[in-house]
Formats: sequence, structure tokens, C-alpha cells
Amino acid sequence: MSQDSSDTHNRRNFLRKVITVAGAAPLSPQLMAGAGAATVAAVAADSAMAAGAQAATPILVGYESFSADEAAFVENMVNVMCPADQYTPNGVDCGLAIFIDRQLAGAYGQGAGRYLAGPWVPGKPQMGVQLPYTPEQFFRAGVAAANRQCQAQFGKTFDQLQPADADNFLKDIGHGKIKDDDIALASWFNELMYPLFEQACFADPLYGGNNDKVFWKMVGYPGLPATHTLDMIEFRGKPYPGAKDPKSIVDFS
Amino acid sequence: MIKKLPKRTVVIIGGGLTAGLISRQLTSQGVDVVVLERGGEHAQGAEAKLPTQRDEMRWDVRQGLVQRWNVQTYTLRHNRQDASSPIRWMEAFLPGEGVGGAANHWNGHTWRWSEYEPTLRTHYINRYGKNAIPKDVPLQDWGITYREMEPYHELFEKLFGISGKAGNINGKIQPGGNPFEAPRRGEYAQKPLITTQAGLQFTAAAQKMGYHPFPYPVANSSGTYTNPDGQKLGQCQYCGHCERFICEAQAKGTPDVLLYPMLKQRKGFELRTQSHVLGINYDRDARRVTGVRYLDLRSGQEYEQPADVVVLAAFTMSNAKLLLQDGIGKPYDPVTGQGVVGKNFCYQTNSGVNLFMKDSWMNPFLATGGTAMAIDDFNNDNFDHTGLDFLGGGGISASMYSGRPIKNRRLPPGTPQWGTAWKKASADWYAHSMGLSIQGSCYPNTENFLDLDPVYKDAYGQPLVRMTFDWRSNEEKMSAFVTKKMEDIARTMGADIVGPAAPRKSPFDTRIYQTTHITGGTIMGADPQTSVVSPRLQHWDAQNLFVVGASVFVHNAGYNPTGPLAAMALRLGDDLADYVKRPRELA
Repeated sequence: MSQDSSDTHNRRNFLRKVITVAGAAPLSPQLMAGAGAATVAAVAADSAMAAGAQAATPILVGYESFSADEAAFVENMVNVMCPADQYTPNGVDCGLAIFIDRQLAGAYGQGAGRYLAGPWVPGKPQMGVQLPYTPEQFFRAGVAAANRQCQAQFGKTFDQLQPADADNFLKDIGHGKIKDDDIALASWFNELMYPLFEQACFADPLYGGNNDKVFWKMVGYPGLPATHTLDMIEFRGKPYPGAKDPKSIVDFS
Repeated sequence: MIKKLPKRTVVIIGGGLTAGLISRQLTSQGVDVVVLERGGEHAQGAEAKLPTQRDEMRWDVRQGLVQRWNVQTYTLRHNRQDASSPIRWMEAFLPGEGVGGAANHWNGHTWRWSEYEPTLRTHYINRYGKNAIPKDVPLQDWGITYREMEPYHELFEKLFGISGKAGNINGKIQPGGNPFEAPRRGEYAQKPLITTQAGLQFTAAAQKMGYHPFPYPVANSSGTYTNPDGQKLGQCQYCGHCERFICEAQAKGTPDVLLYPMLKQRKGFELRTQSHVLGINYDRDARRVTGVRYLDLRSGQEYEQPADVVVLAAFTMSNAKLLLQDGIGKPYDPVTGQGVVGKNFCYQTNSGVNLFMKDSWMNPFLATGGTAMAIDDFNNDNFDHTGLDFLGGGGISASMYSGRPIKNRRLPPGTPQWGTAWKKASADWYAHSMGLSIQGSCYPNTENFLDLDPVYKDAYGQPLVRMTFDWRSNEEKMSAFVTKKMEDIARTMGADIVGPAAPRKSPFDTRIYQTTHITGGTIMGADPQTSVVSPRLQHWDAQNLFVVGASVFVHNAGYNPTGPLAAMALRLGDDLADYVKRPRELA
């Protein structure tokens, strides 16, 4: 094991303890938002964010599904895919990691509604994923495989990659350029991870992502209650004022 | 131990739209009806109330109103030489579950198909000669005419408060309506919905090109409405949560708003939810069915429900499955071309193109399931196919149904999948983009069919339905032709960016939603050798068994199936009221 990853493990163990303690006492959102994201990449992104959008208090804190390694992987992934910029805070501060964690820990991740009877035979891509895995199990296997390939290519795990390298690594996975003997990484990224990323950005904040409706504000989606009969004519072909101040299920709860 | 219940007059399998319509006709004439529905009630659930109704994740992405694939899915192979794979999570089409069925989460598009559709084989031969139809395209006449169906279309449109603009009243073409539509006796029940910005711009371009744009006929209620039964619809709020959702404003014509609450008040009507039908009891020698077997999911108890008449009114796939499983009718054999159950399985050949216009505020969230302007100039056989090497066509529409941001966010071609540039493109174009789309016909092919999978089973231990399906050459050629027409309109609209207009091509992909309009498998016709049910929807091999729904369609047109299947269900209701008094082969 390299010095880098051993340091990382120590750091994660520390953070795990912090998180455990935090169960009893409220922790500042800033600390929680950074939990597990203790990488150079994340720190760099956080300073860039200072000039842009500010993070809001997250709705959900603490991971249910992720191991420390998985948390570090996902946090770097969402910070690379959603860097802090003039549009949004970084991915972790937008709640993207906690969204993915909760989806995997919940009914979806446990395979709800998914046909999981054998026999198991590889199929054509158009038949969809044909693995005897729940989405959470597929996620785990994919993170391990991606880290395996990352080690082979860079000599370190994905969470240790700088944003530019991490960005290219994810693109290469999505384009099928990085192969693993056991896991179909392109399918893993394109059919599991990427949809979760998009959902994390644009779902109702109820689920922990899209914190403070930041992505809805970014595109101008007004959200609820959406009773638009009069708006259909009044704002047809014109800017819709409600787009600046969207409302979510949380606002009506 | 199976428990046998007292005999009932009519038992209907499936508590969706057709069952509700049949029950309306039967109970109004005092006939006793039991409806067996595998799912539960939706009307008081989170799916039907604010704020939880407006949840794209729960109802759309995670398919909260859809058949549970872990309980029952389908297998697919593109060709019968291939091994099948079970579709472990289906996106391509979405059967419903619970009272109202797929008509809960429909968009409300309600067409009368063209006058020539039920006699399409004859029509093509008359127009293009006896060799017009390729040998591997088993088109046949349906054994009914539009004229026979017209009164039932009229009734359904009144019951469901259809909003639209007539294009053909008694043969007289009406400005602003669809000049290709079958002749109507009068205007729609309600005026059309409000047109979107996208619809206005599409209309201007289509008119400039000499086409004939018109508003979709839809069950999204343009006003408040009271139907002939005294049942009420609210006014559509254009909330953009229509398809894949239940309308909490009761402004979408659905069976659990307009039919089941009324039926529950009627004497002789009984709805049993959580009742999953396992089979139909068939007396082969007597050529009759004696009842159905179902599992009460609440108790785990299996029941036999004897009946004088059984109506198979489940989703397309389940209708074929129950017949195949219980050996009612001869299964289709693609090698010999003999047999009927499972044949003429069709889908719809759809495609789309995105347009980006920086100076136009499209506001995609100001929308409903039916706010579309369309042209039928290239639909079905509305244009001359002489010299073309395909049959069929598609309707082209500016169909802006929703601005739900997870799945209805359009990005220009070449946009990165993430990062700041991706966010910028989302921010720049979300409110300034629109789509055109095609709903295209799909004609039967001798190699597209349904049977029972030899390997995979559902949660009840019964075989899954196996689809053998792919896009065959007629549909690929049609899609290429009509998609080009759509692209020409898109270019005429003066967009800053026009996305790729990709026609539908093999292989059929289950990972992408296309449409829930799957048809065939238990087709109707005048000849028992080539159809499962008669033109009266009576099974040729079991006189007291009737099959209804899109599964009886011989082919699929470039229209939603709801109009004709609803009309046929109402007619069947009247037929059955007569049949129970005097059982016989209906002519």
C-alpha cells in the first residue's frame, strides 16, 4: 500500500469518528459537507467556490451505505463532475454524494422492482444490465474495479487524483477505454453512476441532492405547485418570474 | 387449497380503462360484474395528492405507478435464432398497476384512427395494387368498419371530456382541425387546450410549408366539465406532471376519476383489488371457459371464481400470456405461419429532434400531457406511397409535455456530459429549447411475435412472456422518410441549433422509453384461421370468452391506441349485455 493511501485511510478513520460523534451533537454544515472529501482536489475546488455560489445547509447528513473508501470515491467524482463555479457550489456541497448514498441505501439500491431471478447469462446491451447484483452491490464492485484500474494507471486510488486527471479518468471509463477483467466499467458508469449523478442534481431536494434547489435555480425550473393555467398565456414566450425562486416538496412540508 | 366462490355473471380480468367502460355498459343494464385487479387503489395515495404528486424521482424515474418488474417482466430476443434475456428493469414501455391501469399515467391523447385503418389491407391493395404489401407483413382487415365504431367514439369522447378541434364534420373539412381525421358528427366535447410557445412556432412553420397543423385531441380537460354520467373533471393546470403521474386536480380523463367511483355506487358491480389472476379455466371439449383462478394478495389465498362470461381486459402482454398459458387458441408458429396467439405483435416507430432558439422563451414547464400541435400530412397512408419502398407513416408534433428537469432538459449536440460547460448549456438552453417528435406506425412482421419464455418465470412461478421483436425493414425505411420531413420542418423554424434527427433503427432498445403503445398478440378478424377473436371480440375457441384492448389490434398506426380500444370496449359492453341474455356466436 502506498504512503498516500495509508494517510488517506488514517484521515478517513478520523473522519468516521467525527461523524460518529456528530450523531449526538450538531456539527457545522461546513465540516459535514467536507467530511470524507479530504483531498487536495476538494480543497482546491472549495477555494474556487469562495468566489462563486455559496453552499446552503444540507438536508441530510451522514452516510448510510458508503464505506469510507466509497465515500472518498464518490465525493471526488461529484466534485469533478460538478466543480464549484459561478453556477453551483461543488458536488458534495450540492448534496450529490449524500443523494447517491441514500439512493443506494434505500429501496432502489436494494433492488426494489428489479427482476433478479436467474439464470444469469450476459445479454446484448439493449437488454439492460444483466448482473445478479442489486444496484448497491454493482456500485460497490464498480468502485473497487475503478480504483483497481486507477491504481494501475496512476499508482493511486481515484479519490487521490487531481481534478484534470479524475475528469479524464471518468471520461475514459464512460467511453469504454478503461477495461477491468471483472466489471464492465462503461456500463457501470453510464447506466448506474451517471443517471444517479443527473438525478442528484435535478431531483427534488427532498432526497438530499440539489441542495437549496441550486440546479433548479440554475436552469430556471420553478418547481411546485405548478398551477399554470393563467401563466400559459401571460408568460407564453416570455421569461417566467417564478423560475428565479423555485419551490420544492420540502417547502410545502 | 383453492377456494371456489359462488358463480357470477361476468368476470373481467384487469381493472383498467376497458374494464371500467365495459362495466359501465353492463351495470347500466343490470348485469352483474366482478372486476379483478392485481394492484390497489390510487385515489387517496401520495401519487394523487400535493405536494408528493409533483415528484419526478418517485413517479417517473423510479416508475412508482408501473408494473413491478421483480414480480413480472418480459424477456426479449431480437430474432428467433437468439437466446432471450429477461428485461430486469424496463424503460421502453410502462404497463400500469392498480385501479385504472395504464390509463392513470397516460398523457390523454385520444384519436379516432383514419377511416381506412380497420380495412387497411383492402385499402392498400385498392390503392397500390395486389403486390403492394410485402409477404412478411401480415396486414389483414380487422372485420369492422369505422362507421360501426363511430357512435362509440362519440360516446367515449363525451364521457372523457375530450378537448380538441374537429377537422372533418360529416365530410366537410374544418379550418384549424385535422383534415385527415375520420368524419365526425360534430365538435369535440371541449375546446382545445392552450397552445404552447413551441406549438405556435411549429404551427407557423408548418403552415408556411403548406402542411395542416392542428391541436391534439386529448383527455386533459381544457375547462371544467361534467360528463353525461354526471362525473366531473377539473380544469387542467398545465403543471407538467401528466404522463407517468396521476392528476391530483382530477383534470385528466381517467377511469379512477370518471368510471370507478360511479361504478362502485351501482348495484351489481364489484371491484376486487389485490387480486392477481393466475389463469382461465378452459373446457376444451365444450369450447367454453368456466371461470378464473386468482390469488388474493392480502391473504395469500387462491380462489376460483366461476362465471358465465370471462372478459380478458388486462394489458396487451397479459392478454396474450393468459391465452398461451391455458392453451386457449392455437399459438402462432413463425416457421409455418400457422396459429394465431402471439402473432402481429407491434410497437410504434418513434423518433425526435431537438431545437435550440436563444431568443424564444419556450418555458417547457408550462405544459400538459396534451399540449401538442401536430401535422398528419405524413401519417399512415395520408400521403401517396407510390414509388416509395415502404408502407405507413407518422404524425409529426411539437409535443412539449413537461419541463421536469431530470429527464426533460435538452442539451445541444456536443455538450460535455458534466462540468461547468455542461451546467452552462443546461442554464442557457433549458428555457430556450423544444422538441419535435414522431409517433409512427408499426406494421406486423412474420418474425415479430409473443410466446411463453421456456426458461424465465415470474414471482408466481409462471412463465414470462417472451417478445421476439426488432425493427424490420418496412419500419426502418418509414422512419427514415418521415424523420427527414420532421427535420425539414425543424430547419424551417429558424432555430439557432438543430440537434440530430435520428430515425429509428434496429436493434430495439429496452433501455429507452419510446411508447407504451404495444399492440397485437390476440388479434381480431373475420377468419378464425388468422385471428384469435371475432370482429365482436369473441374468442373463436371459447364462445363465452371475450378479449379487449390494444392486443386485438391487427397493426399499429401512428396514433395512440386509446380511442379505438375504448370505443371497442364500449361496444363490447353493449354486446355482452345482450349476450348474457342469449349466449351465442355473435355475428
